[in-house]
Amino acid sequence: MADLLAIQDPPPERADAVEGDRVELAADFREFGDAHSIEEILRLAREVLGDPTFPTARAWRKAGGRAVGCFPVYTPQEIVHSFGLLPVALSGGGENLEISRADAALGSFLCSISKSTLEAALTGLLEPFDAYLFPYICDVSRNLEGIFSRVLPSRPSHMLHLPQNFTSPSAIPFLVAEYRSLIAKLERLTDRPFSPEQLGRSIELFNEQRALVARLAALQRDAPGKIGLVEYYLLRRLGGLLPREVHIPLLRRALAEIERRERKNKDAIPILLVGPFCEQPTLDLLQLIEDVGCYVVGDELQMLHHWCPSIVPGPDPLESLATAYLRTPVDIGVRLTPTTKGAAIQARLDAARAQGVVFLTAKFCEPALEDVVLYRRALEHRRVPYLHMEFEEKSTTYEQARLQLETFVESILFD
Amino acid sequence: MAETSDPRPDGSGVSPSFLRDARGLQRKLVEEYYARLGSPDRSRPVAYMLVGGNLAEIVRSFGYEVVFPEIVALNCAIKHQSLDNILHAESMGYGLDVCGYVKNDLGLQDRDGRTSFGQIPRPDLLVCSFSGCYVYVKWWEALAESYGVPLFMFDVPYMREEHPRKEDIDYLVSQLWDLIHLLEKRTGRAFDMDALKGMLVESRRAEDGWVDFLRAGRLRPSPIEAYFESIFYMFPINVLRGTREAADFYGVVNEEVRARVRDRTYPLPEEKVRVLVEGVPPYTNYRTFWDFFRKWGAVSVVATYPKVGGLFDRGFRHDPARPFESIAEYSLGAYVNQSWPLRRKIIADYVREYRADAAIIHGIKSCRSFTAGQGDLRDWLNRDQGLPTLYIESDHEDPRYFAPAQIKNRMDAFFESLEQRRAVGAAGGPATA
Ligand code: SF4
Ligand code: SF4
Repeated sequence: MADLLAIQDPPPERADAVEGDRVELAADFREFGDAHSIEEILRLAREVLGDPTFPTARAWRKAGGRAVGCFPVYTPQEIVHSFGLLPVALSGGGENLEISRADAALGSFLCSISKSTLEAALTGLLEPFDAYLFPYICDVSRNLEGIFSRVLPSRPSHMLHLPQNFTSPSAIPFLVAEYRSLIAKLERLTDRPFSPEQLGRSIELFNEQRALVARLAALQRDAPGKIGLVEYYLLRRLGGLLPREVHIPLLRRALAEIERRERKNKDAIPILLVGPFCEQPTLDLLQLIEDVGCYVVGDELQMLHHWCPSIVPGPDPLESLATAYLRTPVDIGVRLTPTTKGAAIQARLDAARAQGVVFLTAKFCEPALEDVVLYRRALEHRRVPYLHMEFEEKSTTYEQARLQLETFVESILFD
Repeated sequence: MAETSDPRPDGSGVSPSFLRDARGLQRKLVEEYYARLGSPDRSRPVAYMLVGGNLAEIVRSFGYEVVFPEIVALNCAIKHQSLDNILHAESMGYGLDVCGYVKNDLGLQDRDGRTSFGQIPRPDLLVCSFSGCYVYVKWWEALAESYGVPLFMFDVPYMREEHPRKEDIDYLVSQLWDLIHLLEKRTGRAFDMDALKGMLVESRRAEDGWVDFLRAGRLRPSPIEAYFESIFYMFPINVLRGTREAADFYGVVNEEVRARVRDRTYPLPEEKVRVLVEGVPPYTNYRTFWDFFRKWGAVSVVATYPKVGGLFDRGFRHDPARPFESIAEYSLGAYVNQSWPLRRKIIADYVREYRADAAIIHGIKSCRSFTAGQGDLRDWLNRDQGLPTLYIESDHEDPRYFAPAQIKNRMDAFFESLEQRRAVGAAGGPATA
């Protein structure tokens, strides 16, 4: 107990919590530049994801770079990038991190991503980061930042209040002020002044990445036979881990290869995957959804890339960012719904031409769980089939999930 | 360890000479409030609001009756009616992990709002003060869908610095004007600034009286029970703020507190341990929980929970001379709207100002806003502040999570070790915990 929150400084060479080997990438990420087939890219992606010591952030540091860990769901990564920092998506510890110390500090009845992120902080795994950025998406993420400020006092962390009033004209100047508070910390961290011009260039870069991710999502929606769900997911997940300058050409190459594929759609059920907007399900679970006969034609995975379609440049880039955040209606559990849940889910079903919904919610994720009740009511009213499953980062057996999914698919096929 | 004798007819074991006029008056105010809400000839429209950062004065100035579902929920829990509502909400699909207040409320409304203490009316308007708890947003979305009434979102920036930025206040004030325009449209009434200022005068008077009561915990021995007794006296400051009754109420309370000091009538015959309490109470079993303190001569001299409606004891007051700015500042001051560094600072100040010997943290399984990070707080209090601290967990609404034997054992062990350490200290050994 006495050393519960003691952070080793310098951190241990290798945290005991980690299972498996560390992945060492070149400082210039040449492995990704050299990966010319999707198979090679996916192999690298799996390796990176399997190593909770943040190999991409470590590689970035080898060349003297500095990185900022960004908690889901939405953070203005363009601002971080404009300081020459690498924004890296913190998506939890995945399957390879044992939780031993975070429970005591954070409490029970909490989602795995909050615990594994704190565990990583307590065991030195977040060492590759110079700062941490948490958006106020829920009370857990918000409180987590408060704990970070104590357990990692030498690394700045910032809690960003994302407005929930989307109609007030004052929300834009408020959000710009929020960005400015973050900027003040980044200026201190980097010893560099904020440059609106540089931010404008970063916005252009991220717009490019967003457009490619949107192309990928459109393929997944319109020609799901051409791309597997896990492929689709890994390609996007890399986008929050790699320097965007590396991810963009990689994604272009992958897209070209996928678009060339001659595969036909199978006789699978097109579904929406709702709920995993923050904590991420395991790859096995995603694979299972496809294996039982579903095509995911709309989802909430890796929301960082498609919170807003594109940021329209304007004279003040901070205002452009704030406007994009506030004026893009997104139906997701951590943002006040612009309509009603019933209208929202119907619009999404229509847009994706989906026949059913799989709610895949992180255990103890209250924002997702509360939405499910409203969504279910609306779906029952409209006679749209749905299935609700909960997951944790360290899910190991999938028998129950397989059974539930198979029953769900059969119920649609034989309806 | 002797228990306080002289049990009340309700079996609480609390001395009747300790809880006298003020408790009786508080009951009367509660009854009158629910009678008004449930009255079949009620002509006033109803707004639902959350306690933290609420805009009661503005809404009342337009003639609205205000319902606080959190308060209804805790009243249900105290009266052992929450479990039925919770089970009903679970049958509607709300999971075990969802906040007990939410489940009580949504279960209750689906059961037509009937409670033993009154009929809870349907809302005409939902005002969500998003101040310190994200669940508020989800809860109000659910209410908006089931009642089909407008939802006004009052977005309150989370406090990460002690003082708000100008942009925070501008944002809040601008939203207040949006609310005024909405209320004008819905009621057909023009905004009456004088009526609002008049209410703020009463709010301020109530806040002064409430703070005087809370600060009595600094006396040694403390004439008040800052956790268990405050639970009763929070009702006027949170529910009736802005009315003359609420302001007058604290005059009665403080008169009684002065009489206690004069007559040496204290919460317990002997104050052995001065405790700081952090966290929401287990309303379903709060008298049992109180007994676990009393057994060891432990008196709560200061608590964070009574500050959920506002940090008045840290200096804030509504100000009729700056009506909108002060309402904006008020909304930022809900206890759970303070970041962990600010919460830690408040607690450190309390420990010093109220000369607390120990802290008890009561974690709520279904409330992440208050609870996520309380383990870290325990560690900080124990290690960095040198204050013996115990963390226990149950729920505010759901009696299934209150394990009396387990909680009692842990509290007994804690207080016993505190006693032993003190005995060693008195005998010349190491004095710290
Ligand atoms: S998984 Fe849900 S509860 Fe957990 S941090 Fe993310 S949004 Fe919050
Ligand atoms: S603060 Fe806690 S108890 Fe209150 S509504 Fe939020 S989650 Fe529920």
